[in-house]
Amino acid sequence: MSLNVFICGVGGQGLVLLTRVIGDACANSGKKIVTGEMYGLSQRSGAVSVHMRIGDDVFSPLIPIGQADIMIALEAIESLRYIEYLKKDGVILMNKRIMHPPIETSIIIDSKNKLEYFSLDQVITRLKKWTSNIAIVDALKLAKESGNVRTENTVFLGCLSALQIFPVEEKYIKQSIIAAVPKKTVDMNLKAFELGRKNAYDSLCTQVACREKP
Amino acid sequence: MVLKDVLIKEARTAFMLGNEAIVRGALEADVKMVAFYPGAPTSEILDTFSAAVGEFDYQMEITSNEKVALEVCAGAAFSGVRSLTAMKSVGTNVASDILFVLGYTGVRGGLVIVMADDPHAHSSQSEEDGRFFAPNAYLPMLEPASPQEAKDMTKKAFEISERHRVPVIIRTVTRVNHQSGIVDLLEFNRKDFKKVKWNELGEKYITLGEVARQKKLKMLERTKALSQEFETSEFNLITRADSAMGVITSSVSYLHVLEALKILGLQNKINILKLGTTYPLPKKLISNFIKKLKKVIVVEELSPYLEKEIYVLSKDINPDLTIFGKLSETFSEAWEYNPDIVATGIALATETKKPDYQTILLKAKELKDDLPDRYPTFCAGCPHRATFVALNQALKIQVSKGQNHYFANDIGCYSMWIYPPISRSDSSLCMGAGVGVANGLSHVIEERVVAISGDSTFFHAGIPALINAVHNGNKFTLFILDNSVTAMTGQQFNPSTEFIAGGRKGKKVLIENICKAIGVEFVEVVDSYNVKNNIEVFRRALDFDGLSVVISRRECALYGDRVKRRKGEPIVPFYVDKTLCKRPYVCLRTFYCPAYELDNDKQPKISLELCDGCSVCSKLCPLHSVKRVEVKK
Repeated sequence: MSLNVFICGVGGQGLVLLTRVIGDACANSGKKIVTGEMYGLSQRSGAVSVHMRIGDDVFSPLIPIGQADIMIALEAIESLRYIEYLKKDGVILMNKRIMHPPIETSIIIDSKNKLEYFSLDQVITRLKKWTSNIAIVDALKLAKESGNVRTENTVFLGCLSALQIFPVEEKYIKQSIIAAVPKKTVDMNLKAFELGRKNAYDSLCTQVACREKP
Repeated sequence: MVLKDVLIKEARTAFMLGNEAIVRGALEADVKMVAFYPGAPTSEILDTFSAAVGEFDYQMEITSNEKVALEVCAGAAFSGVRSLTAMKSVGTNVASDILFVLGYTGVRGGLVIVMADDPHAHSSQSEEDGRFFAPNAYLPMLEPASPQEAKDMTKKAFEISERHRVPVIIRTVTRVNHQSGIVDLLEFNRKDFKKVKWNELGEKYITLGEVARQKKLKMLERTKALSQEFETSEFNLITRADSAMGVITSSVSYLHVLEALKILGLQNKINILKLGTTYPLPKKLISNFIKKLKKVIVVEELSPYLEKEIYVLSKDINPDLTIFGKLSETFSEAWEYNPDIVATGIALATETKKPDYQTILLKAKELKDDLPDRYPTFCAGCPHRATFVALNQALKIQVSKGQNHYFANDIGCYSMWIYPPISRSDSSLCMGAGVGVANGLSHVIEERVVAISGDSTFFHAGIPALINAVHNGNKFTLFILDNSVTAMTGQQFNPSTEFIAGGRKGKKVLIENICKAIGVEFVEVVDSYNVKNNIEVFRRALDFDGLSVVISRRECALYGDRVKRRKGEPIVPFYVDKTLCKRPYVCLRTFYCPAYELDNDKQPKISLELCDGCSVCSKLCPLHSVKRVEVKK
């Protein structure tokens, strides 16, 4: 058995830390994992993605086209940029947040405001042509609720850990979060994790099989 | 947290990045000297060693370029001390002068050179195939496929290096450096660092003329011995199947091959030879592998390096062998491979049905229609953006007065000027080449040449070209964008800060002092954020009838933020006062900051989460409608 998770977002959103937490949790619970991390330049606001593969019969660090079971999009538009990796009817955990690149704003102004931003509704309409298992998470709101605006990534860890197909137990994820984040943000991160988990049970778990509610 | 795994004392498993696994391997092998110039995809090797400086007793330098890094390590290795350096593909070009010499002189202590190629040019100017350095310099080369192998090979490389008294290349690709996986850690077995008495060693490292000719003969003998040794190396794996079809592969392509065979339902149906020692090649092993095959598929990224050797070997041992690779156009020499590309090639060679990727990709393309691009862009607060705004305005005024320009960009974060919406650059080449080509251009074009360099790039390869300009009386303007750190690769320290590896105290080297000392007559230093003042300074520099240098200085925003966070200082963002903003869009038209977007009323809005509080946009707004958020005390 294996599980492929495609993670995408924008530089600065903590994709690398998210990958790290899951990887450490796998190492600590005796699971095999391999990841391919695509972060070219060390700057904020660029497109970043991670191919994550958990299980015994995976080899390449890159997910073959059409084989991701789950996609986590920390920024909504980015979900479409890599959609070919997602299985038909795969699960999408998507942030409600859109970070409009400066080039998009420039184009709108140059059009004398005739053009509009690419909207969340447009993203969802298109994603629905690929899969019906879409969970939209207001991760920024939940992160703020946790007391630390930089915990959007941890909110998604909470969502992910609710899913039945995700093979790593919650306690290992929590243990890794505690080890990975700065000491003074541990409580906020654990709260963000719980908020994400609760959010999954409230919405996504009505469509997709989830672990038993603790 | 990255450091944590590298420091684990006991034998256990850990989740590690390829680069961290290399560090762990070197530490387990008791490395005592490391030196680097940062470069993606190797930078995390430097960063991890730098973070661990206080935990071990190795010597470390972040050097001014890759050649110096290799020379630092060579010096240590001459004395019998185990040393390691890592560099990106194009960094090896810079280091190549000493690299070739070391093949002749050899070393005493183990010297390992990690050379990381970047197929797909993810973060490089070219898709260089560095493997050819190995046969050209007669240096043994190992190629790992996974983090585990990266660690094992690094460790083994020290042994090979000492046994044969030769530097060993560990050749990686981005997909190995930036691949994470489970790695088995072994215990450290480190001895205390002790200074060596050079005179007691009786060593000499000389090569020239007749000495070089004699050493060349020894080098050939050494290569023969290595070739013999590699015939039985544990890094060359053969997986047998009952078939007349085989695959020969190396590096990460091996993992793509395994994945592709699974996709195609060919697992255990094709023989596989995975090569880990790719110079000198184990020719007997390869010959035996291909002897009874009818077809062999060679899967390697970039050039047909293995493939051509296999053609040569097959001529004697199996002349009827059909070879599928790049020469047969089964695979391309362009771009990085992945499971889909490899599956497609293997399907073609084996006449197997492959998944219908085309349909999936076409459907995906439909969904991506009109999707906004996300080009790399300057971070919020980036001083380069402020320099660009002032420079752009200065150039516009100059053009209106009849002075036109050639814009010679260079390698660093400012390279992003080549991307939309800015899209300004006549050339963008390699480290320091902006100043270099400015010399030639200034002789032959009518326009004023504007050259750009960063602080780190200037130290790395810009200085000789600038000295050349002074000496020959070449007239152009060089802008040095000094943001204190080597920003693009992760904000490593360089001579422009007072810090050295491990955050220890070093001595800052002032760029203006260098410029003045070599005789540049126009040298001005400005604060990058001071846009309005800078327009005037930049214009004077462009009008100067001679060589002019402007140093635009302000620390990298990401680095500055980290320093602030550490000190507990707040980052106070700005907002747009809607009652004052009349939407002239000066901010958006000139500044392109990712913290800005339009709200529903098409009014500019600053994202408080993204704003870095640099204040530059507030100074540009003609209506003074951009204000700092008031902090409650």
